[in-house]
Amino acid sequence: MMDIAIYSLVDDMVSKAGTEGVVEYWLRVGESYAERMGKEAYVGWPAFNVAMKEGRTSLTVEGAVNVLTDLAIIDKDGDVIGYVYALKTCPMAPTMRRYISRIGPIPDSDTDVADSYNNRIRDSAVSNYCITHQKFREVAANNITVAKQALECLQLANKGMTGDVKMVQENLARINVDERHIKSILRSASCVFALIVKGKSAGEEILE
Amino acid sequence: MPARKYSNNGDNMAENIESNPFVDVSVYLFFEDISDKQGVEGFTNYMVGQAQSLAKSVPEEEYETWDDFASAVVSGESVFSSFESIEQISKCGFVTNICPFSKAIREYIKRIGNFNPVHIEATDHFNHTIQPSAAHSACMMHQTYRREVAKRITVGGKPLQYAQIGAKAYTGEIALPPESWKKVLLEKAGISETQGFMEMRENSCLYLLYVEN
Repeated sequence: MMDIAIYSLVDDMVSKAGTEGVVEYWLRVGESYAERMGKEAYVGWPAFNVAMKEGRTSLTVEGAVNVLTDLAIIDKDGDVIGYVYALKTCPMAPTMRRYISRIGPIPDSDTDVADSYNNRIRDSAVSNYCITHQKFREVAANNITVAKQALECLQLANKGMTGDVKMVQENLARINVDERHIKSILRSASCVFALIVKGKSAGEEILE
Repeated sequence: MPARKYSNNGDNMAENIESNPFVDVSVYLFFEDISDKQGVEGFTNYMVGQAQSLAKSVPEEEYETWDDFASAVVSGESVFSSFESIEQISKCGFVTNICPFSKAIREYIKRIGNFNPVHIEATDHFNHTIQPSAAHSACMMHQTYRREVAKRITVGGKPLQYAQIGAKAYTGEIALPPESWKKVLLEKAGISETQGFMEMRENSCLYLLYVEN
């Protein structure tokens, strides 16, 4: 029931703090959630990927993740700097389904808040909940080290309830993965992201 | 203990009620963030206010007889049981076996540790300023939702009435109304005090549903 409250809460918050205020609230929640989960360290990518598959990392509290080990991200020296991961089911999906069946259509404030985020911060939210979810991943990734190197989460793509897709082109370019490949992954997933060594980029020098 | 008049097997309801705890925990954090800005009173008002808005969004219902209503509630077909599995223990006495917030509370504790003290402060605030019936901050939302959604239901043309009798927190603490209220509520529910305690040992919530004659 707590999850269903999101829609009336966001509706109410939009009337009091505006869509921008709600975006700020969600960003703080995502950050605080990830910070309170604590830090993690893995000896290398195989250990980390096994933990992701088994759902033992802070990043997998959101649900089961496909670890796409065939999509290793390589830097200019040929070293593996990260992998692509696909979240099978959006954590909001059961709530949305229940809200629609028990209460009615999803309120417009959901799209209004997502649009506010997309227009001002990054065009990557298909619902208002994506804001806190993506922020959570970004901060949680910074609290994980693999072979003593901190990680960075790059949001790549996600799919909304009605099938609308958001792609973050600059992140796709950074890991040098083709958009069509990510679209094919999205057929059986709701969200695709990459975890790479912080500051690294495929085929280039370390970013500042 | 009075015989159950109706009960559902719970399987289908559980599937419908299931949410992703990741989302539940983040909503708790959202409320905590509100309390940082607006204090315990703001936290309480938001919990109560959003439950009122949620209840106002659900479709209205009307039942011809009390038995029709009770049957719809325990089978999960009524908006009253949208978020919980309910059993009827007497004509007007109803229980919720598993608190619909318990999974989220467990996940919060498992993932991020002790509950922020603002939850207890808000519960106390609610119990002192609204009504002494909450065992946890989530009860404020749940009980407000029940009270408001009851206003959207009629049985035999009369509005449904709801009164909370007992609520059990994840710590085992039970919130009960003052003695004078408790006696009246239990009598109206048609159960003795001992039966009430027996129900609270097995269930998370005990309440009264009725229509005025």
